[in-house]
Amino acid sequence: MKTNRFVWMLVSLLIVSATLLTACAPAAVPTAAPATEAPAVATEAPTAAATEAPTEAPTPVTIQYWHTHSDPETAQLDKVIAAFEAANPGIKVETTRYAYNDYKTALLTAISSGDVPDAARLDIAWVSEFADQGALVQLDGTLPDFDNIIKDTYPGPLSTNVWKDHYYGLPLDTNTQVLLWNKSDFEAAGITTPPATMEEFAADACKLTDAAKKQYGYAEGGTYFWAPAPIFYAMGGKVTDEKITTATGYVNGPESVAAFTMLKDLYDKGCLSPNLLGGGIATDAGHAEGTYGMIIDGPWMVDIYKNNYPDFQVNFAPIPTGPQGTTSSVVGGEDVVVLEGSKNQEAAMKWAAYLLSPEAQKMMAEVGQMPTLASLAGDPAMPPYFTVFQEQLKTAQARVPHPKWGDMDNAINNAYQRMLKGDQTPQEALDQAAEEINALLK
Amino acid sequence: MNRQQNLGILLRVVILVLGLGFVLLPIWYMVITSFKPQTMIFEFPPHLWPQTWTLKNYIAALGKDNFVLYFWNSSKVAVASTLLTVLVSSMLAFVFARLHFPGKETLFYVFLLGMMVPPVMLIIPQFLVAKWLSLFNHWGLILVYTTMNISMQTFLLRGVFENVPRDLEEAALIDGGGPWTIFWSIILPLSWPGISVVIINTFLYSWEEFAWANVAIKNANQRTLPIGIALFQSEHLTEWGQVFAASLVALVPVLVIFIIFQRHFVQGISTTGLKG
Amino acid sequence: MHIKRRNSDLFPALIFLLPGLVLFVLFFLGPMLYSLRISFFEWKIVHPDQSIFVGFRNYQHALSDPIFQRAILNTLAYTVITVTVKMILGLGVALLLNQTFRGRTFFRVAYYLPVITSWVIVSLLFEYMFNGQAGLVNYILKDVLHLIPKDVLWFADPILTLVPIVLLDIWKGIGWAAIIFLAGLQAIPAELYEAARVDGANPAAQLRHITWPLLGPTTVFLIVVLVIGGLNAYVPFQLMTNGGDPMDLTHSVLTLMYEATFGRIDFGYGAAISYLLTVFVFVVSLVELRLLRQQAA
Repeated sequence: MKTNRFVWMLVSLLIVSATLLTACAPAAVPTAAPATEAPAVATEAPTAAATEAPTEAPTPVTIQYWHTHSDPETAQLDKVIAAFEAANPGIKVETTRYAYNDYKTALLTAISSGDVPDAARLDIAWVSEFADQGALVQLDGTLPDFDNIIKDTYPGPLSTNVWKDHYYGLPLDTNTQVLLWNKSDFEAAGITTPPATMEEFAADACKLTDAAKKQYGYAEGGTYFWAPAPIFYAMGGKVTDEKITTATGYVNGPESVAAFTMLKDLYDKGCLSPNLLGGGIATDAGHAEGTYGMIIDGPWMVDIYKNNYPDFQVNFAPIPTGPQGTTSSVVGGEDVVVLEGSKNQEAAMKWAAYLLSPEAQKMMAEVGQMPTLASLAGDPAMPPYFTVFQEQLKTAQARVPHPKWGDMDNAINNAYQRMLKGDQTPQEALDQAAEEINALLK
Repeated sequence: MNRQQNLGILLRVVILVLGLGFVLLPIWYMVITSFKPQTMIFEFPPHLWPQTWTLKNYIAALGKDNFVLYFWNSSKVAVASTLLTVLVSSMLAFVFARLHFPGKETLFYVFLLGMMVPPVMLIIPQFLVAKWLSLFNHWGLILVYTTMNISMQTFLLRGVFENVPRDLEEAALIDGGGPWTIFWSIILPLSWPGISVVIINTFLYSWEEFAWANVAIKNANQRTLPIGIALFQSEHLTEWGQVFAASLVALVPVLVIFIIFQRHFVQGISTTGLKG
Repeated sequence: MHIKRRNSDLFPALIFLLPGLVLFVLFFLGPMLYSLRISFFEWKIVHPDQSIFVGFRNYQHALSDPIFQRAILNTLAYTVITVTVKMILGLGVALLLNQTFRGRTFFRVAYYLPVITSWVIVSLLFEYMFNGQAGLVNYILKDVLHLIPKDVLWFADPILTLVPIVLLDIWKGIGWAAIIFLAGLQAIPAELYEAARVDGANPAAQLRHITWPLLGPTTVFLIVVLVIGGLNAYVPFQLMTNGGDPMDLTHSVLTLMYEATFGRIDFGYGAAISYLLTVFVFVVSLVELRLLRQQAA
């Protein structure tokens, strides 16, 4: 047998290089230590309620901020940065904009390699997930003046930053969903005002439905939780208990079941469009064209309609009240976080804090970013259509701030599908969802 | 040409034209959609001829600050990746097609592995390698694109090279030529159809690759076109008209490369070496 | 038939091999081994050294997961259908485009156009055409041909969703297969066809006895590559089902892997799924290569 020297050489080369690469990799991620910018800056003590910023570092520090803002929002952000840099001469802010659909991948890749941005704008649903991975810096106790900063924020958005009794982000911008009603459809059906209670809502949905004209009174964008969430919360539904320990009695409790039962009834009667099962006419287009008398959606609809249906006059109304006589909705938006592995955490925290200042919030409000500061509701600087949303934000609730929220959402999503298709009753479907969610909470 | 051959050609053309309908209908719809104002992008029922035309989408998309820059970046990366891939994979294919050493087939299968691992899985460790070598720039794109193409293109070219008749090589050997001469002067010139395929494939891959470019390029000025077009989509409002317009413009370079190199798909070109 | 009359061309081979090898080891083999290693851990992304070794647990979990099993079924069905159709139609188109006739370049470009279109755009178009309430396909099937009584909600049904996905891939892929076949057809000397014509063979006989056998290597190449591509399907599935809608029943193996890795941040599980797929692809390719090369020889 001839010695396969070449093959052995090759194999050894491969093994050596592979070992080198794999051996290097786990050590590549530096553990973060709260970095001081320069000796001149004092380190923060946990109980310090810092008054003014200490003397700035002599050498300028550059921080990286990642986001997924649209073009007009990015342009406005640049102005915010200019203002920040003017007030903080030692700090420069560099931004990188990512495509929305691929942002999480870019973030996770960066985190895996230790090459993280200093601060980032995160979807609220990701904060507990990233915090659980150890990727975010705890802000309560470390960010100067933290307690003051959060005093004025809406409770819903603020709660999205909590994980294991600590805060890992600041609520940056928020939004919620309200009722959109098509005035001409309403007038044609003889209804003058949008529904104020859920009973009226269900009745109106069917009054607005005209099978011959293929018109539906109400439509949802899909069966993911975000879609029925406003109605769910308004009718008193809850996914889990406050402490997030169990879903039994909550997601399958009487109020939750009542909410989904109402939706299922509307679907069976043909008043809820079947598009929510997938692949039908989109809610924004359908609403503008009169196919859908009512939809529930967010403040971005103003821009969407300005662009796509400039002749359409959109009308907003609060989510109808549930059996207890109160309204509610679901909270959306983004939080700003500081990442472990950042070498400029103090500067990053200053930037994050600045983004929550009234000036910064007002500037971003001009491009449609709804502020998280309750005191700015009704402020004349706000675009007029904000009013109904900011009113709704007072009662809107956040979805469960838990790393496994994605799977919980999926459980409810599947339950909704099963009940609509008639495979299970709403109670049965939600019972199964409760079991699945409980398994995730263990 | 006799009548039977004429009929044959006519039949071919008829079938091709019918097939064209199926093939071009979506393309036609893409083109007319790019000329529609936003309101009509997803109208029901669909019209095959737009009611209103506008150039707005093109003006907006091409006028965006960096569109030309991203276009240029993609061009550089695609051309470099294509050249490097052709060179490297043809050298590899030559070894497998003509040279012999123990373990050759095993090594070939090792290279084929490159086609069998989902590229997505490799992004993170590739990111680590790029970080180690400071390659968060166009070179990082070029080297990774080449690597990801080596397997398929070597596989393809091996088959092509094996089909080249050996008579010419015997002659060259007698004249005292070595493997390099055979590679450059005989194998490559006679393999233009295969090499054209490699060029077309690699250029297309590099031109439209997204996942790696998304994470490896951090400097906005170095972005490639697919990233630029993805940025047209924002969280809530997407200007689809502009996306369509930009995507159609992005088609042009690949189309040009295709038109240039498909010339080599002409019957009998590889046999000319044998005559006379 | 060796070029040199000696046992091994090792030295010249090394020179030709070196550039490719270096790139391959650096950017493929190393990363592959790294991610393979991840599949045996419960991987922590921020502190990888704290990852927990779990042996084959990720693999067992995947194999016993009904969602994964469904994903395999979807992927297999998709692969079998798309590869078969693309091979047949691709060869047909290539044969048609092989002769010299006026305007041939136009036809070649036209058939190749779908290959270079953007997945995002064409997925959108196909979704639009297959819209359950106002799409072109339903309109033709219901109102024009009267083949169905009611509108079909294509994307609401876990099996029907595969129809637009499969059609999209076929539409986009025929041109690619055709081009490869076209290049392969060039290697067949024209004299063989001349001789056959002189001998009285009709086009069908020429196809069977000259074209098909001599296209052997090209056919092998295409089958292997198209099957690998089919099993690795990700983009059309992701764009049209948004990750398994409805009810996680429309995943492909890779959309599931993507969701595990970048959705739920379970890198170990995602890696295990990838390598299960890789092993399967490797075995299938090996079988194909052995079988088909024997036939072609």
